Amino acid sequence: MAETVLSSGEKIFILHGIDADFRNDGRRRCEYRSMEIETKLMPQTHGSARLHIGNTDILVGIKVELDIPHADKPNEGKLEFFVDCSATATPAFEGKGGDDLATEISNVLIAAYQTRNAFDLKTLCILPHKKCWKIYVDVLILQCGGNLFDAVGIAVKAALNSTEIPKITAATLDGGEPDIELSDDCIQLDTSNYPIIITLCKIGDNYIVDPTLEEEVCSTSSIVMSVLPNGKISSVVKLGCGSIQFNTFTKMLQMGEIIGLKLNKTLMDVLKEENQFGRQRRIFGFLK
Amino acid sequence: MPVDQRRINGPEVSVPYHIYSDFNKKSDKVKHDFSKRSDKRIDSEIRKIFLKTGIVSQAKGSAYIEMGNTKVVCSVFDPRELSNKNGYCMQGEIYCEFKFAPFSCQKRKIHQQNAEEKQYSLILQRALEPAVCLHEFPNFQVDVYVMVLDNAGSSLAAAIMAASTALANAGVPMFGLVTASTIGIYGNHYLMDPTDTEEAICNTQPDNEDDFNHGIITLASLPQHNQISEVFLIGSIDTNTIKQATEILTAANKDICPVLQQCLVKTIMKLHNEKK
Amino acid sequence: MEEYPPIIVRLAINRIDLNLIKNENVQPRIYTPGEEISSQPDFLRGHGTYVDDENTLRASVAGVLEKVNKLISIRPLKARYQGEIGDVIVGRITEVQQKRWKVDTNSKLDSVLLLSSVNLPGGELRRRSAEDEQTMRRYLQEGDLICAEVQSTFVDGSLSLHTRVLKYGKLSQGIMLKVSPALIKRKKTHFHNLESGASLILGNNGYIWIGANKQDSDRSEGGFTQDLSRIPQINREVCARLRNCILILAQCNIQLTDTSVTYAYEESMKYKINELLEPEIMIDVSLLTHQRLIQQ
Repeated sequence: MAETVLSSGEKIFILHGIDADFRNDGRRRCEYRSMEIETKLMPQTHGSARLHIGNTDILVGIKVELDIPHADKPNEGKLEFFVDCSATATPAFEGKGGDDLATEISNVLIAAYQTRNAFDLKTLCILPHKKCWKIYVDVLILQCGGNLFDAVGIAVKAALNSTEIPKITAATLDGGEPDIELSDDCIQLDTSNYPIIITLCKIGDNYIVDPTLEEEVCSTSSIVMSVLPNGKISSVVKLGCGSIQFNTFTKMLQMGEIIGLKLNKTLMDVLKEENQFGRQRRIFGFLK
Repeated sequence: MPVDQRRINGPEVSVPYHIYSDFNKKSDKVKHDFSKRSDKRIDSEIRKIFLKTGIVSQAKGSAYIEMGNTKVVCSVFDPRELSNKNGYCMQGEIYCEFKFAPFSCQKRKIHQQNAEEKQYSLILQRALEPAVCLHEFPNFQVDVYVMVLDNAGSSLAAAIMAASTALANAGVPMFGLVTASTIGIYGNHYLMDPTDTEEAICNTQPDNEDDFNHGIITLASLPQHNQISEVFLIGSIDTNTIKQATEILTAANKDICPVLQQCLVKTIMKLHNEKK
Repeated sequence: MEEYPPIIVRLAINRIDLNLIKNENVQPRIYTPGEEISSQPDFLRGHGTYVDDENTLRASVAGVLEKVNKLISIRPLKARYQGEIGDVIVGRITEVQQKRWKVDTNSKLDSVLLLSSVNLPGGELRRRSAEDEQTMRRYLQEGDLICAEVQSTFVDGSLSLHTRVLKYGKLSQGIMLKVSPALIKRKKTHFHNLESGASLILGNNGYIWIGANKQDSDRSEGGFTQDLSRIPQINREVCARLRNCILILAQCNIQLTDTSVTYAYEESMKYKINELLEPEIMIDVSLLTHQRLIQQ
C-alpha cells in the first residue's frame, strides 16, 4: 500500500479517538463516508462503473466474450477478475510493487463470487461442452485513499449490475459444430444476490469500517468479509500481521453482516434510481 | 519468485480422464452418505496426526506432517538480509511459498505457482506472522517453503502446522505455536478435517436450495494466547454457523497443540541423548 | 442493539460543483507553457520563463504573469512549495542521517535539519557530543512531525531548517493536513491559539497542524518528551471540526488565515461534525464564510 508514515503523537490521537467512538473526521466507528457512483460510462464495455469514496477512485470495466466451457464443468460459464494497481495511483505500485495487493484483491473477489448462491455460472452456459459466456471483470485502481477492498466490491457489483449480455435467439449443434444466433436485444445479469465486501479494521481494542489511509496505518489486522444480500457470508479472510481474539472476531462478523446488508440495500436503491434516468442520462465520466 | 520461463509445462489443455470415465457414477457420488464418513470417522473427529522434525538435513529447520493421506513437507532456511530497496526495516519479514507437488492432486499441477497457491502462500504468511517475534531480526527475512506431497484434504491447515513446527525447529523466536484445522460445512453437517472429496462436496451448493449453508473454514490460532491468527472462509454460511464452527475449530486447535509440543520436545531429547 | 448510521451513496448525475465562488473581477490572463510573453528585448528573464532562438520570451509553466520593473516571471498556479528564509513550515522526518535529519516539506527536494540547529534537552548552549549523534533517533525518528523555520536555502533549492526558538520543535498529538501552499499567505504569525481551545499552525509549505493541546506550545526542551495522555472529548471535537472546516476551505480555494478558519468554524457550528463531509453542507459553509470575508 502507499507509503504513509505517522508520528506516535498522531497515532495515539487516532487510537484514542477510535476508543471514544469519535474519529478524526467526526465519524463514528461504524460510519461510512458518503460515496459517489456512476455506471455505464465506458462505451466500449458491456458494463462499467466508477466509484469515489474519499480519495479512493475505482474504475471497473466488464467485457463479455464467447468461450468453450472447462472440460470438468461442461455446463458452466466463466467469470474472471483482474485487478490492476496502476502506477498512476501511487508510485509504490510501480513495476511489480502493486502485484501483491492486486492478487489479494482478486482473490477476495474470486472467493466472494465463488458460491453458486451468489453467482450461478450455469446461467452463462449456452451449449454444454461447446459454448459459454466468459465475463471478464477488469478493476482499475485510479487512486488509492484507503478502504480499497470495500470500494472494489461495490464498484464490481455496480458494474455487473449494469452489464448487458446479448440475447441468444438460437443455439443449435450443426454436425457437431455449435451454431448460435444473437439478437440486438440484451439481457441483464441477475444481480439479486451478488456480494458486497466489507472490511473491518481492528485498531487498538476496537474495530472500524471504511478506514482512511491514516487509520489503516494504525491497524495491525483487519477482516475482509463478503456479505450476500440474503445474509449469508461467502468469504472471510484476515489480513495484516496481527492476531484477533475469538470474541472480537465474532463481534466483528456480526457488525460486518449488519453493515453489509445495509450497504447492499442502499446501493441497489441508488442503482435503480440511476437506471430510471434511462439512456439519455448525461455521462459525467472524468469531468469535474 | 523467479519463474522459469523455459521449462516446458506440457500442454495446458490436457484434462484428467476421470471426468469422462466417472461421468455416470458421479451422479450418485453427489448423494454422499453423511451418516458415516469414508474413513469411518465421526463428524467431529480429526484424522491422526504424524509429525516429525529434521526431515531436510540441509535446512535450518524442517518438518513433515501427515494427516490421513495428506502429506506436507516444510523447510525453513537461515535468515537473509533484505535488499535495501525500501530503506531500513525495523521489523523482520517472513516469506512463504506454498506449492502443491505436480502429482499431489487429481489434476496435475504445473511447476509454476497458480493463483490458488499464491493465495495459500499469503494466507500461510499471515497465519505465521503474529506468532513470530519479528522485532528480533530487523531487516532480515526468513524463508519458509512448503510442499504438499499428497493432497487428501485440509492441506492448508497441515501446511500451517508444519511451517510453525519447522520455524520452532529452526530456532526462530516465537510468541507461541500456531495450530490450524479445517472444517467443512454442508447443511447441518460439520465435518472436521475434511478429506478432498468431502471438501469438493462442501464447496458445491445443492440445486434448488438457496438457504443452505455450505463451505469450508480454515482457522489458524495461537492456542496459548487464545488468539486467532488467520481465518479463511469460502462458501455461503450464515454468521451463527460461522460462530459455532469457529468455536469447534478453536477447541480443536487447542487439542492439537500438545502434539506439536511433544514433537519438538522429542527432537531436543534425541539431540541430547546423541550428545551423551 | 447498536444503531448504525445510514450509508449514503450518491450518483454522479447529482454531483455538486464545489467551485461555486467565482472571482467578481476579470479573469486573470493565464499563460501556458510555450506561450509567447513578449518579443521585446528589454526584459529580464525570471522564474517560469525561457528565451528561445528568436529572442522571444516564453512561459515554461502554466500560471499568471508577474512583473517587477523589467523582471518578468510566471508564477505557477500549482506548484510545490518554494521556500524563503524565515518561513514557518511543518514537516515530517523521512530519514535519519549522520548529524542531520531529512525532512519532507512539500518542496522539490527534501529539506535538511542539522543536529546543530535543534535545541537539545539540557540548555541552549550545550555542546553536541558524539553520543548525541548516535542517539538522534531518540529525539526525532522517521515519521515524526516538526514545526521549524527556514534558516537558509542551498544552491540546489533545498532548504535548511532550524528549531532554535522555543515555539518550534517536535509536534505532539493532533492532526496534520496537506493543502496547496498557494492557499497560505505569508503572515506575521503562523501560530494561532484559537478561542475554541486548539492550536493551529499554518505552515507556509501547505502543511497544517491542528494541535490538540494548548499547553504543549512550550518547547523549551525541544519538545522531545511527548504527552501521550488521553485528550478530552471536547478538544477532540474541536480538532475534528477544525479539520473538516479547513478541508472545506481548501476544496473551495479560499485563502487560509486565522480569520477565515475562525469564520468557517463559527459558520459550521449549526451542523454536526460528520455532516461537514457532505457536499451540500460544504457549499453552504464555504459560501457563508466567503460572504463574511467580503463584508470585512
